[in-house]
Amino acid sequence: MRAAKRVPQTMIRIGAVASRVLRQIWHDKRVVLFMFAVPTLAMILFGYSFSGNIQGVRLAVIDDDQTDLTASIIDNLQADDTFHVTTLSQDTKSPEDLLLHNGYQAVVRFPDKFTSLYYAHFAMGVATSAQGVIDLALDESDPQIAAAVQMGLANAVMDLGEGGPIKIETCELYGVSIRFIDSFAPAIMGLVVAFLCTVLTLLSVVKEKVDGTFARIWVSPVRRGEFILGYIAAFGLVALAQSVLVLVIGKVVFDVVINGSLFWAFASVILFAIGNVGLGTLLSSLAQTESQAILFFPLVLLPSVLLSGMMWPLQAIPWLLRPLSYIVPLTYSNRLLRAVMVKGLAPWQEPVGFAGVLVFVLLTIVTASLILRQSARE
Amino acid sequence: MASAVIETHGIAKQFGIRQAVDRVDLQVSQGEIYGLVGPSGAGKTTLIRMLCGLTRPTAGTASVFGSAIPKKKRAVEARVGYMPQEHAVYRDLTVAENLRFFGRIYGVLPGTISGRIDELLPMMRMSELRRQRADQLSGGEKQRLSLACALLHDPELLLLDEPTIGLDPALRIQFWDHFHALNRRGRTILLTTHYLEEAERCDRVGMMKLGRMIAEGTPAELKARVPRDGGEPSMEQVFIYVTGSDAPAADTEGAK
Repeated sequence: MRAAKRVPQTMIRIGAVASRVLRQIWHDKRVVLFMFAVPTLAMILFGYSFSGNIQGVRLAVIDDDQTDLTASIIDNLQADDTFHVTTLSQDTKSPEDLLLHNGYQAVVRFPDKFTSLYYAHFAMGVATSAQGVIDLALDESDPQIAAAVQMGLANAVMDLGEGGPIKIETCELYGVSIRFIDSFAPAIMGLVVAFLCTVLTLLSVVKEKVDGTFARIWVSPVRRGEFILGYIAAFGLVALAQSVLVLVIGKVVFDVVINGSLFWAFASVILFAIGNVGLGTLLSSLAQTESQAILFFPLVLLPSVLLSGMMWPLQAIPWLLRPLSYIVPLTYSNRLLRAVMVKGLAPWQEPVGFAGVLVFVLLTIVTASLILRQSARE
Repeated sequence: MASAVIETHGIAKQFGIRQAVDRVDLQVSQGEIYGLVGPSGAGKTTLIRMLCGLTRPTAGTASVFGSAIPKKKRAVEARVGYMPQEHAVYRDLTVAENLRFFGRIYGVLPGTISGRIDELLPMMRMSELRRQRADQLSGGEKQRLSLACALLHDPELLLLDEPTIGLDPALRIQFWDHFHALNRRGRTILLTTHYLEEAERCDRVGMMKLGRMIAEGTPAELKARVPRDGGEPSMEQVFIYVTGSDAPAADTEGAK
């Protein structure tokens, strides 16, 4: 009655656990929907929110100088999607009034003699302090808008061409100019895999404990390693499907840049998914019921979103919180996936990210295995 | 006498300050139906879990088919079928998928699994429920599925923890018919119950209270201990006599 020796029993048992987990997922259509809706929504919502050149900032321009130079700068501002430019007459209210009472977000004023001072600077060289000055009044209640206005104005002045005071040439290290969304897609892949693999493993294992199937498994010939490998095989496939979905949406909808090898990208995602299966198994030892398990969801999601460098660079995270960033696994997955997908490197060429993910995988899988041994004997 | 399938010597388990099982000696022979009876908290479930290798004893020894448990559990696990007190089936799998999964993890060949499913489902009167998801089954149907899962790999020894709890009387009779049918095929069964009338149907009975084995013997031997004043005593009367307490059936569903 026992199976023949051709296929090792251990492979049969791993396969049995993996196919059982996949069948359970397949039977619960809400989980299937959740699994594919989350990456789709995350990619589309985050993508649209952050692909995000800021557009339509209400900008008032007061030109007291009325020269060709100021007209060129205003033309440049109008050509920039960042701004919705309104040119106001000289005898208008003060810039502060315009900001506070007229709904403008920034006011640019070219004082009279701006042009003559600007050219005087060139004529007299560096020895002079004469300089054309543009007055900028800014609503700084939103720092991102304020930064976009300052950058847009600087571009408008630079775009004057060869006669301009500064010439900046951008060297495109990766062959194309990288937008925020391009470095965001790898982070979304990591986040989706981290969240769903951890949460689904956690719920699945807790359900086994609650239903008593856990006890049945430990009485059977299934080993702890086979149990974990079965889960890894199932969720590795799920992670792969989710990553493909994120990349397809990223490419089709946002035209994200993928410089690197897709093979290494998917291999890195699956490696990270393994660690998250381990993490979900670990957390399952702290929850006795499914409702207790749900309480862990924010614990997984919030540090990943806020501290991993996904939304803003680690350097922008306050020093007090930054050590926490280095224990958030997504921090390393972001480094690894960005290196592989954006920079086109092999995983080992980003040693910090690669080592971080490997350590995460080893730690969680080994600890989860020990915890399962404990749970089995409770 | 038939060889001992299960043997324990002074086996004990302590949870904190509570002595769940207190130095129990047990011997179950090949082809025997042995019933552990007692109220909730008597230590029946802990004893059965120790025999499965799920709970490590704090003292004493246990062996199944001559292999020390839990140390040599691997040597015997394919010969043992375990049915826990909970329904212990995968709620989101169908009846057939549950059975197939348990068949696969016990190394039963795919072709044989299908044959066993075809054999077990009519026996459990579940043929029409083959494609039904377990979470859509009634309590009794889940219980039958749980028993079928324990039987799929055709084990020589069945460890059944409260297999009839919560079943209506007709279904309980049906379950006992299954147990006797299995027994006729040489299977050894150790089960726990707190329905004392079920003890009558066992070959031998162990009565437990507060972790200790208070009395043990065939139903006839146990009844013979009770002074007679008229007819034959019931198992409730035997239990009350040997333990000096209320019969466990009074605390119905509390066994968990």
